[in-house]
Amino acid sequence: MPAVDRSYAYAYAVGRIRALERRLIDRNRFNRMIEAPSPEEVLKILAETEYAAAMAGLESVYDFEPALRDELGRSYLELKKMSPRPEIIDLFLLRFDIHNLKALFKARYLGTEAEMLYSFGTLSLPLLREAVAALDFRELPPRLRCAAAQVADEFALSSDSQAIDLILDRFLYDELVSSSREMGSHFLEEFFQKQVDLINIKTFIRLQRIGRDRAFLQKVLLPHGRLGPEFFIALYGNSLEQLAGELAAGEYGPLVGEGLRHWLERKSLARLEKLSDDFLTAFLQRGKHTPFGLEALVGYLWAREMEIKNIRLILVGKINRLPQEAIRERMRHAYL
Amino acid sequence: MEIRVNPTRMELNRLKRRLKMAERGHKLLKDKRDELVRQFLILVRENRELRERVEKELSSAFASFMLARASMPLEVLEEALMYPTRRLELQVSRRNIMSVYTPQFQWEAQKEGEEGNIYPYGYADTSAELDTAIETLARVMDQLLELAEKEKAVQMLADEIEKTRRRVNALEHVMIPRMEATIRYITMKLDENERGALTRLMKIKDVVRAKV
Repeated sequence: MPAVDRSYAYAYAVGRIRALERRLIDRNRFNRMIEAPSPEEVLKILAETEYAAAMAGLESVYDFEPALRDELGRSYLELKKMSPRPEIIDLFLLRFDIHNLKALFKARYLGTEAEMLYSFGTLSLPLLREAVAALDFRELPPRLRCAAAQVADEFALSSDSQAIDLILDRFLYDELVSSSREMGSHFLEEFFQKQVDLINIKTFIRLQRIGRDRAFLQKVLLPHGRLGPEFFIALYGNSLEQLAGELAAGEYGPLVGEGLRHWLERKSLARLEKLSDDFLTAFLQRGKHTPFGLEALVGYLWAREMEIKNIRLILVGKINRLPQEAIRERMRHAYL
Repeated sequence: MEIRVNPTRMELNRLKRRLKMAERGHKLLKDKRDELVRQFLILVRENRELRERVEKELSSAFASFMLARASMPLEVLEEALMYPTRRLELQVSRRNIMSVYTPQFQWEAQKEGEEGNIYPYGYADTSAELDTAIETLARVMDQLLELAEKEKAVQMLADEIEKTRRRVNALEHVMIPRMEATIRYITMKLDENERGALTRLMKIKDVVRAKV
């Protein structure tokens, strides 16, 4: 068994996470929030939870985003401190670096100032800011350096803003899977691979609807999935039922089947997105009770992400008077 | 109420000329008003149809945008939409409707980056509901510009109709009656003077005849 996955060093962290997990918002409380008559009421219910401190300083319900962001950042940093191998948490934080880079690149090419950056990535904001401003990426980690240089080259060539996102997304998932492979963690590798597959399935359907060609699909598909790019490319252009048929026997069968049914009925991929998240939650839940492993850490991080997603959904829904049903059908399963 | 003038023949002639002019102006303005109203009604009808269509599309775009917003962090959404793939060049020229110069837009979408791609973001961390919103908004953009053009034209025409109507009414109910009254007054005064002169002449004639 690889050292990263199983180690007594995790015992302490797992113990603390058991305690933290208890404070996650449970289904009952979410139900109460969905049934709340106004966004203010939702905030009141949130005040009974871990979010009390973050939500206390809010001037209006519309400003909830920074509070959620701070909560998320707090969780990540807390876990990084307690994890015997902080680099694992760094892996999860990479997403925020990539987000910051995308925003900085776009702002640079637009000639504006980038806003809405995450302050808790692995790389400091001034470092990223300087690197992008000067288009000098020597200070970045080697693999990211290549990706950033590629972004700069590509944009100089085509001035296509989508390319920025595409290159950096590809880098992110490439990095996630290869790093977890290098660390020797099968669990993480599998988790990220599943993520890649689910994103690729969704991208496949989205691109087919938009009507892009096969070459573009090839450019957008993320690498390292369990379903290789060939699988998608061969199916591209055929009916979506065929995709569902091909996947039916595999682990993604049920979620793709139901997601596509919903898509055909209502032209909305919301169901597929929800089921994809639930699928990953279920995957993580299986490892939840491993006493000496990183499963509990990853599970807790994911649970927090889902919790925040749900809170956002409820708050936005309440502010815009979305019917309860519409909120409920998009709610992600609780990890508990 | 008549205008205060010297009751002279010269004044009378001047007034008669003005009256004729006013009547001709009145007729012309009335024709202008009728034509303006006709154009206005056509525009308003088009405008209403267009507005209803645009509003329907927009509300569906906003609904899907809201759903996308509900399923993505604000930061990600903001980043996704930061850099537009299309730039719109708008040229404004004028169109003459009954000498009302309404704006006329000509626009050209300049595509940046890849041909025909309206989605400026990557697919990994964005929700599919954003696609729907962007697609509808992109489709509605042309109609939105057309609507802006029509709406402005309707507004300007309404203003012009109001102005013309006020002018027509002023001519019809104030200027023309007033001039007519004045003309009547001067004619009467002149007639009166004439009769006075005549009587005076006859009187003098009598006096002279009595002396002879």
